[in-house]
Amino acid sequence: MAAEKWVYMVTAQTPTNIAVIKYWGKRDEVRILPVNDSISVTLDPDHLCTVTTVAVSPSFDRDRMWLNGKEISLSGSRYQNCLREIRSRGGDVEDKEKGVKIEKKDWERLNLHIASHNNFPTAAGLASSAAGFACLVFSLAKLMNVEEDPSQLSAIARQGSGSACRSLFGGFVKWKMGSKDDGSDSVAVQLADEKHWDDLVIIIAVVSSRQKETSSTSGMRESVETSLLLQHRAKEVVPKRIVQMEEAIKNRDFASFTQLSCTDSNQFHAVCLDTSPPIFYMNDTSHRIISLVEKWNRSEGTPQVAYTFDAGPNAVLIARNRKVAVQLLQGLLYYFPPKSDTDMKSYVVGDNSILKEAGLDGENSVENLQPPPEIRDNIGSQDQKGEVSYFICTRPGRGPVVLPDQTQALLDPETGLPK
Amino acid sequence: MAAEKWVYMVTAQTPTNIAVIKYWGKRDEVRILPVNDSISVTLDPDHLCTVTTVAVSPSFDRDRMWLNGKEISLSGSRYQNCLREIRGRAGDVEDKEKGVKIDKKDWEKLHLHIASHNNFPTAAGLASSAAGFACLVFSLAKLMNVDEDASHLSAIARQGSGSACRSLFGGFVKWEMGSKDDGSDSIAVQLADEKHWNDLVIIIAVVSSRQKETSSTSGMRESVETSLLLQHRAKEVVPKRTLQMEEAIKNRDFASFTQLSCADSNQFHAVCLDTSPPIFYMNDTSHRIISLVEKWNRSEGTPQVAYTFDAGPNAVLIARNRKVAVQLLQGLLYYFPPKSDTDMKSYVVGDNSILKEAGLDGANSVENLQPPPEIKDNIGSQDQKGEVSYFICTKPGRGPVVLPDQTQALLDPQTGLPK
Repeated sequence: MAAEKWVYMVTAQTPTNIAVIKYWGKRDEVRILPVNDSISVTLDPDHLCTVTTVAVSPSFDRDRMWLNGKEISLSGSRYQNCLREIRSRGGDVEDKEKGVKIEKKDWERLNLHIASHNNFPTAAGLASSAAGFACLVFSLAKLMNVEEDPSQLSAIARQGSGSACRSLFGGFVKWKMGSKDDGSDSVAVQLADEKHWDDLVIIIAVVSSRQKETSSTSGMRESVETSLLLQHRAKEVVPKRIVQMEEAIKNRDFASFTQLSCTDSNQFHAVCLDTSPPIFYMNDTSHRIISLVEKWNRSEGTPQVAYTFDAGPNAVLIARNRKVAVQLLQGLLYYFPPKSDTDMKSYVVGDNSILKEAGLDGENSVENLQPPPEIRDNIGSQDQKGEVSYFICTRPGRGPVVLPDQTQALLDPETGLPK
Repeated sequence: MAAEKWVYMVTAQTPTNIAVIKYWGKRDEVRILPVNDSISVTLDPDHLCTVTTVAVSPSFDRDRMWLNGKEISLSGSRYQNCLREIRGRAGDVEDKEKGVKIDKKDWEKLHLHIASHNNFPTAAGLASSAAGFACLVFSLAKLMNVDEDASHLSAIARQGSGSACRSLFGGFVKWEMGSKDDGSDSIAVQLADEKHWNDLVIIIAVVSSRQKETSSTSGMRESVETSLLLQHRAKEVVPKRTLQMEEAIKNRDFASFTQLSCADSNQFHAVCLDTSPPIFYMNDTSHRIISLVEKWNRSEGTPQVAYTFDAGPNAVLIARNRKVAVQLLQGLLYYFPPKSDTDMKSYVVGDNSILKEAGLDGANSVENLQPPPEIKDNIGSQDQKGEVSYFICTKPGRGPVVLPDQTQALLDPQTGLPK
């Protein structure tokens, strides 16, 4: 029989997510089991997403992967664990039209081609691993007709990158730390979907960073090994915050949501500082943004904007509604104006319809901004050009989806190679 | 009888100190009792000190004080507590030559003139309150012939400013937190004098700060009220570190001294970050200095330089010996060169004989500096002029002394008014 040449593929899109109760520290480095629960908000994949095409063919002689156009190695344990776990759950697949018939037992000897693409720069520090591994697992599950639900799939994605498990759902997601040694109960569950609290608007300030940052993986390991505050956080502080955050989300209680998000972000960074050697993810620009938000919230009496920072200087700001988001953007652009001759549409990306609402779509509109009345003094002068590379305007978003449109596939349907 | 016009005065000099196991948080705001022990190094008053002249005369109609030439109010509780406590312990004084005779009971109705002067700028964030209150109490104790030892006097100085109690001794000092409600056992004791470990050289980088900083007093109160990590630090971490630090000092164990100083400084700043609203005392320049030192220590295998930061961005760097201090200074001047046309003698003050040893006393000597081999990359470029205002080179130093020389008095011996 002539070698079969069919190529069977699936393309999927997965969102990224931002933790509001942070994951920092593993109790098991191999299975990627955390020392505490975490909770996240899934971001709208229209603005930030990973697209992955996975293909299988008898003509492929080995597993191969391309990330953002560049071939990468799949030999690392994280990829190997995900591939092994998903393959063992592969089901029967039949596509009569294409002449494709795969039985459950065939998966272990068939090779895969994987092409993945982030629509945001890796250097921006926007958690590309989370979206990437979630997309890998989700798309392979679709390809292989895996029968598991998203929580069960999340346990596989978790083994690629801890926070990836939370990208298997839209809206508000909790990663339960679990207690079993084998990690089968360390899974993500959805707390509420993306429509539950759709007033929220998210503005991300991508902050210029002069430093190469400590990777999350090594950073959290150093924290577990050397921070004398980490265990106290994990055992005493986070469990209570998780319960309170679940309540806040359920009740759309923005004041509590803000208080919990901000304090947990700061405590995560405090643990990083308590590490040996100390890890500084936030920089002076991050601090200025925090001061701006803290002052504003206090002057309004009730919080308007929550902030959270991951393992990098970028600020993720969550505004209670569109009107507040517009004011926030005006304040941010006042303190962090673009360099001269910058096109505003490249300085505020994502949902940039907000520029018009903020009166910032015309020429010289930034120069005409007034300092926000509540937040003067001590934030420093207006002349801090270049501190922020750009802003992204987005919102809570949906979970992974299959993209049925062939034009969005990243691999050629004939060859199975990158287009 | 004609009004007596004699003026009786004493002038004293007191050092400042830098904590290596930090005091941050009070259990009693009125008596200034801390939540944990602290340990400090006294700095050489030749370079950083407060000089205070205290005078008493029947012709003075009220207590008055001048600080750095400007009259200030003594009505605050801290000054009132110190004055009351020291007056309550006054003894008999007689100076036949001047015709001065004061009985113990007279002190409560006699008034004082106090003039105090720091030889370093208050804005430099170099703990002027500590030196100031220590000097006030010490000089008044000498004036009033108070029969208390230095530890007893420290309990009075403590009520002016907590860290002032540690400036009643030279060398290495511990402030025992005490357990009594009345604070009578919350006192400073000397662990070792300034000759005990006189290899150490201290370089302070006075870092430019754009922000007005949160005062220590309000900052630590906010930390006590809002940080969920502070109590754990105070109860679990600091007691062990205090014991280890006492051992390290006793044995001149520089590696342990460094590990403890750096970890405790970072943990103090971690607790500040864990406060609501978060407090950022260190800035990007502070972080760059830490990175430089951490990399150097790791590349040498055994620590060469310890760092510690108080409630501000200034770096206090403690080098294990003179040779290391010279290398450290060269490294610092490479990464933080002075602005053009700066006189090196105003850029490195204190013991600036170190400039010659570092080959940095000639013109253009900074431009000729080579990057230190161990600490390249990731510290950023050399072009960070102006980040550091200046450096101070000093060492561990002696405790308070009386200055018998009348020319050093800050008050006129006839009028009792500032010269």
